[in-house]
Amino acid sequence: MSRVQLEISLGVLLVLATGTILIYQGLLEEERMARFEEQQRAQAIEVGAELFDINCKGCHGPQGEGTPGLCPPLNDKYFFTDRLKDVGWSGSIEDYVVATVASGRLTSTRPELYPGNVRPAMPAWSEQYGGPLREDQIRFIAAFVANWEATAPDRQRAPVLAGPPVGTDITQELPVGDAVKGETLASSQGCVGCHVAGPTGPPWNPTADQPGIGDRAAARLTQSDYSGNADTPDQYLLESIVNPAAYLVPGYETVLMPGTYGQTITAQDAADLIAYLLTVK
Amino acid sequence: MLKSLNFQDIRKKAAEAFDNRVRIITAGMGLDELRAVVRGDPPTEKPNPRYKVHTTSFLFHIRPRYYEKGSTLFAHTFRLGFFTSFFFFVELFTGLILMIYYTPSPAEAYNSILELMSNVPFGQVLRDLHRIGAEGMVIFSVLHMLRTFLTGSYKKDRTFTWLTGVFLLGITLFLSFSGYLLPWDQLSYWAVTIGTSMAEAAPLFGTQVNLLLRGAPDIGAGGLLRFYLIHVVLFPLLAIWVISIHYYKVAREHGISLPAKMEEGNISPEVKKEGKQRIDYIPDLLTHEVFLTALGLFVLIAMVTLFNWHAPLEHVANPQQTPLDTKAPWYFWWLQGMLKIDPASIIENLFSKVGLQVELSALLNSKQIMGIVLPTVLGLLLLAVPYIDRNPHRSLYKRPVAVGFGLLFTLVIVVLSYMGLPQYGIQTPAATRIIQDLAPEEGSGPLREIPFDQLRVGVYEVGDSIPRNLCPDEPEGCPALTGVFAEFSRRVNFAADNEKLEPYQRLPNAQAVMLIEDWQQDLRKVTLRILWDDVATGSPKNYERHLFLHRAHGAE
Repeated sequence: MSRVQLEISLGVLLVLATGTILIYQGLLEEERMARFEEQQRAQAIEVGAELFDINCKGCHGPQGEGTPGLCPPLNDKYFFTDRLKDVGWSGSIEDYVVATVASGRLTSTRPELYPGNVRPAMPAWSEQYGGPLREDQIRFIAAFVANWEATAPDRQRAPVLAGPPVGTDITQELPVGDAVKGETLASSQGCVGCHVAGPTGPPWNPTADQPGIGDRAAARLTQSDYSGNADTPDQYLLESIVNPAAYLVPGYETVLMPGTYGQTITAQDAADLIAYLLTVK
Repeated sequence: MLKSLNFQDIRKKAAEAFDNRVRIITAGMGLDELRAVVRGDPPTEKPNPRYKVHTTSFLFHIRPRYYEKGSTLFAHTFRLGFFTSFFFFVELFTGLILMIYYTPSPAEAYNSILELMSNVPFGQVLRDLHRIGAEGMVIFSVLHMLRTFLTGSYKKDRTFTWLTGVFLLGITLFLSFSGYLLPWDQLSYWAVTIGTSMAEAAPLFGTQVNLLLRGAPDIGAGGLLRFYLIHVVLFPLLAIWVISIHYYKVAREHGISLPAKMEEGNISPEVKKEGKQRIDYIPDLLTHEVFLTALGLFVLIAMVTLFNWHAPLEHVANPQQTPLDTKAPWYFWWLQGMLKIDPASIIENLFSKVGLQVELSALLNSKQIMGIVLPTVLGLLLLAVPYIDRNPHRSLYKRPVAVGFGLLFTLVIVVLSYMGLPQYGIQTPAATRIIQDLAPEEGSGPLREIPFDQLRVGVYEVGDSIPRNLCPDEPEGCPALTGVFAEFSRRVNFAADNEKLEPYQRLPNAQAVMLIEDWQQDLRKVTLRILWDDVATGSPKNYERHLFLHRAHGAE
């Protein structure tokens, strides 16, 4: 066989082999494209989780459990079954999340449940409306939120209160508090959503100007402008939680804190929180 | 009547008419001749009809009628130039198709890549081919140049061809680099940001050049459109133009050089005659080229399908967030390596050794010198190689100085490229380094490669002993998770116990933990955290990274 013939035969074989590979690949293409789309979906959820962790968990909770009286839970059965019907939304749940996150909410749609007391009720997050996030990032967050659908617990209909609510009577005898549990509660109940952490930690920590909340509470009782009814630091802290309007610290004259905590936390939780706060001197 | 109908005659006339059509299509060769060509037989007519093709067909006209046998030896050229142009054509064809699916705007570019991957049959194959072709073109043009240098083929009549070749190398690099930005992911965005920032170092007009390239102080819509147009119009046209000059010189003027051992010195007339023996283009070289093309396509297709070589795609470009370990494309690592050298401080150190104190840092701008002046000098040196090297010999053994310099140059480029890696010369703090190596901000990394089911929820604290199996209660265990955790422990312990390391590499009193939490359906959160005492102040420090891993993420 001459070199020309050899090269022609080998070349034909190579072309056939290449063709075979391409046909085989062509048969797999549908599956590959579907898999790629699935991976993209997975990545969107991963990135969305990261963005949620940075931007949203302050109010809506690290696990989307929401903040009572302030921010609705998103990891919630109602949100996926009835919310769209209630607001008359015709698109998908993801579109609804995208629209809300992008443009925010000027006023609360459920003032009786989430009065919010802040204007706007939810800030706009899209770059287009002066927020920090790009449109694709908002889509990722929506993908992450939508992924709660299958496992969302029923929070709306059965509020989880492990005991009787604490009420608004500040003179009552509270159970013995556990400071360690209180510290966990302070972050899980969404306090830090509004009481934003500064360079020295949450605002009840001591700073350069003033001591921790434990000492602050004791000092404020004795101030001449104190208008509340508390006689001890314990009572002062309980009053601040369940009846925040009783006394307003100078500089914070508008009541921003919801007055509903008397109904939404148990006496035990309140005792734990107070025990924790009193340890912060 | 019947007598005039001669069937023999009709048959002959039909055959002749058919033969004529064939001659028109093949630009000169009849049926018998075609048959002889395919069989590798000698020409059937005189004058040789195979040469006629070269005058009547444009594409054959620009190809040579024959090569001298010596220049066709495989070990002489390794077909490097051929494959460089092969890759160029691969780029042209795949690029043209990719243009159908691509939109050059920041809002759409990345999505159009995703769309190509998820909704276009063979979309991934096309993208991979275009990428591997680009890498191949850079590699083969560099090797081609090295071969030309080593065989001394730039001498005498070929000096101008060498010059066009150096220009082609530059065009190839910039063609590849300008395409780098187009996917608009983190990898491309930051690599090009680094690349264009070098232009800024140019004296007098650096800022303007940078502005002209980027279209704004930062790369945005304007910059992307500019890079796109440069990539699909300007540089391809330039390349076609210069390739034409380069190739025409070789094919029509001086041919491919003969090996020095067939041309130079005291050699027998037989060897000389053998070397100059003509090998006709049709059929020998033509079949060879078609064969090489088939081979090249086969290898490329096999690489991107059977061997899973894929073009990388990271997260969408985010101008607000620079990922750790950002680097230029690999063929510019040498430039990044050079930028890590500060000539002023080197000279100052030298002088201080002999007891002299000099202050040069204000005089010598290291970015200007290493990023602009030296690369320009290197480029000019390459261009001037035929004029600097006046040695008439071409044999390797008779030009030891030139070959020595060539090898030294290659070695320096390799070393500089190594120095360009983010792992060299940049003092990343130990905690950041360890976590980045296990779970890089972009790309995959060992932690992300752990199968989802092995990410067993729990708190894993790094202790003195490295665990053999993190999930002893499961029959299969979790080798991948255990492996990553063992690596994490090993490196934290090394940095904690080894007091001889540089301060930035140490982690005194280190406490490290890996936390795996169930986060959502099919989603787990992994936290890597290291706490340690600062070497200088002793105050506690910590570094941590959170990763969210979805079950379908790495579904291969």
